[in-house]
Amino acid sequence: MTATVSLLKAVTGNRLADGEVVFWGEGGWRERFPDASLFADPADADAALDAAKADPTVIVDPYIIDVRLDGEFPVPTSFRERVRALGPTTHLDMGKQAEGGPILEAIAAASGAARSAGRSNLIKKR
Amino acid sequence: MPKLIKLIDGRPAWAEDPFLAVADEDAMPGQGGVILSLTRFQAEGEGLLAAGRAVGVRLEPSEAVEGLAYDLPRLAMVALAFPKFRDGRQYSQATLLRERLGYTGEIRAVGDVLREQANYMVRCGFDAFEFNDNTGPEELAYVTHRFRHVYQRAADDKTPIFVERMKGGADA
Amino acid sequence: MYRYDAFDAEMLQDRTAEFTDQVRRRVAGDMTEDQFKPLRLMNGLYMQLHAYMLRVAIPYGTLSGAQLRRLGHVARTWDRGFGHFTTRTNIQLNWIKLKDAPAILESMAEVGLHAIQTSGNCIRNITADPYAGANAEEVDDPRVWVEAMRQWSTFHPEFSYLPRKFKIAIGAAPNDRTAARIYDIGMKMRRARDGKLGFEVMVGGGLGRTPYLGPTIREFLPAEHLLSYMTAIMRVYNRHGRRDNIHKARIKILVASLGAEEFARQVETEWEALDKAAIDVPEAEIARIRASFASPAFKTLPAINDAVEALKAASRPFAQFVKHNVLAHKVPGYVIVNVSLKAPGEVPGDCTSDQMDAIADLAERYGFDETRVHFDQNLILPHVALEDLPAVYEGLRAIGLATPNIGLTSDIIACPGLDYCALANARAIPVAQEIATRFADMEVAEDIGELRIKISGCINACGHHHVGHIGILGVDKKGEEFYQVSLGGSGLEDARLGDIIGPAIAGPKVTDAIEALINTYKKERTTGERFVDTYRRVGLAPFKAAVYAEAH
Repeated sequence: MTATVSLLKAVTGNRLADGEVVFWGEGGWRERFPDASLFADPADADAALDAAKADPTVIVDPYIIDVRLDGEFPVPTSFRERVRALGPTTHLDMGKQAEGGPILEAIAAASGAARSAGRSNLIKKR
Repeated sequence: MPKLIKLIDGRPAWAEDPFLAVADEDAMPGQGGVILSLTRFQAEGEGLLAAGRAVGVRLEPSEAVEGLAYDLPRLAMVALAFPKFRDGRQYSQATLLRERLGYTGEIRAVGDVLREQANYMVRCGFDAFEFNDNTGPEELAYVTHRFRHVYQRAADDKTPIFVERMKGGADA
Repeated sequence: MYRYDAFDAEMLQDRTAEFTDQVRRRVAGDMTEDQFKPLRLMNGLYMQLHAYMLRVAIPYGTLSGAQLRRLGHVARTWDRGFGHFTTRTNIQLNWIKLKDAPAILESMAEVGLHAIQTSGNCIRNITADPYAGANAEEVDDPRVWVEAMRQWSTFHPEFSYLPRKFKIAIGAAPNDRTAARIYDIGMKMRRARDGKLGFEVMVGGGLGRTPYLGPTIREFLPAEHLLSYMTAIMRVYNRHGRRDNIHKARIKILVASLGAEEFARQVETEWEALDKAAIDVPEAEIARIRASFASPAFKTLPAINDAVEALKAASRPFAQFVKHNVLAHKVPGYVIVNVSLKAPGEVPGDCTSDQMDAIADLAERYGFDETRVHFDQNLILPHVALEDLPAVYEGLRAIGLATPNIGLTSDIIACPGLDYCALANARAIPVAQEIATRFADMEVAEDIGELRIKISGCINACGHHHVGHIGILGVDKKGEEFYQVSLGGSGLEDARLGDIIGPAIAGPKVTDAIEALINTYKKERTTGERFVDTYRRVGLAPFKAAVYAEAH
């Protein structure tokens, strides 16, 4: 078993034009979780979220997610966010998981942990 | 630029607003038309009407239009408030004003009033609008004419499809 | 079946133009997401986990071959080559792009398909008895009335911003096949002693967080007043339904808080004050709609077909197919063929574009060009000549859709769950796949007999878990998927809400728990008794003991 530390944040949302799951990363929104910017300081994540919210014609309802390190690989803490980062567990040929790679494999192997705090807050707000 | 758009013979146009919306905590202006909350109207309406002032009443969605039945002939207008554009109670209230209470005066949509709901408002009997977005008369005309037909009767004078069919219309 | 005339077609064209303009405004930043969301929902577009989902309306679950083929085309062109039939007899496409929506709507409108009011706080697509027009018991074809209601409710200016979503179903046979009591309004057609047609009206049913079976508020509504009476119900709800709490906004909460009698009184008062003649559709229009649902030109055929009997004797799979998937038709020599979308291991309700094409072919060749969607997430060929049954079976077998499991353990209802849905707490599909696979063996399944398992991935209950003989509800326990099991529910004639058996069960242990329940049933049952009846007779104790025995 690899060590599990929960200490990072990332910013995600769905793209307005096509609904694609995207992550805030170098140079803007990126389609793959491995390209997401990871923030050790929650204040940096908040700043990224504010920047994202300034772009309402590009992104819908962006929010912050928790990310932990499983060994050397960053993995979204909540199961829901892992499904978003990968694709449906019932169609392994669909979604981002089809591309493979070590980080996506680590996400697929991950288990447990709490619900996405960012998303819960979003739902409550409504 | 005036905020008010009125339908004149079904055609939308900017209009000067002869009424001042007076909040409950505001002092009553000495002259001119006013729009009052139901509470304030009940307290002060009688006096204002006696003095020959034009008085309109603003109803929140929870304030039933039936409560105005007695006063309607004396009112200069009725404003129906949309606290959120998703709150649909005022569509029923406007319909009742027109169809059940026989009110023919101005029914004004105020509050979170948006373009994409305006056609339904017109169909339910609204004929004046204070939009909360950038809608002007042209945009209002556009959204209220984009459907050639309607399926059901409402408080407007549109002929429903089932009647059109019996007349043998449409290029079928 | 009803074909859209020039008026209906122009409504769809105008609607496509309207939504195209709304999308344009949103993308241009002329509308906020908050302002746009109800508009896209009223066009069936949800933002789900991986993409937009488009829910296409299938009014009264009826599709022509051309429509089914067009759905296949849309799925192939703008999605991933498959669709998901739902418990509301609609179809959902999971990988839609907002920018493609106008083109999709345009394509669908060509064959009279649309996504109007398949979501949002409005009157949703209305369902009817899935065997309408094909079964002998019905007092009338309910689709005639549902079509009248479809038109009345489409873009209804007064009732498009209701407190919450609104679902209506109409059945027409003494045997309820619509789950009427779990609807906001459920109706059952009746004929009075004098021969007049009417409806029993039930209001305030629903599942979700606070499940209710809808009470009857009127025993007999004369059919010609259907729309004015609906107007009265909707107006009372629109004005007085709660808007302060989304969880208390459904009409069931209003009916429960007022009491059915007081609610009925308010409706009757409103109805009496309405100008009924202005709202109710005239007889001529009903007659026009009725003509479109006239029975197809059935031939006079013998009630027994020798070739079918011979094949039944020769082929066990065919005999099983006939036994479980084929029902009697109102016309001798014809049958109703249920097409199971529940092959064990597959996703319940999913259908590929190629399968849609093939079913459309079969419907056109052997089924008077008609298919239906059943709320059990299966399809139906409602009018098949008995003599064509072997060919239809062969056609279905060739596309993997001849699984003879209608009503059996593996015929499971499951919502999309956390694999797709933004609201879900847990997955539903993999649970269904595992259970179905374990009970795939026909001998085992036939021994168990009728068993309705229904799975939802969250409390919103799209998988109707409350009314499953076995209901399974996914819950999130500190990030792990757990499942709450309930027993004894039904949405049909024997309507009842299920009883929760105890603490939620960890995902990997659910199938074992279901097996323990089934083994208990086998031990306790009397000859010929269904699972649900055994449970209702003997009660919770032995079932509960069996499931939790291991844990202690």
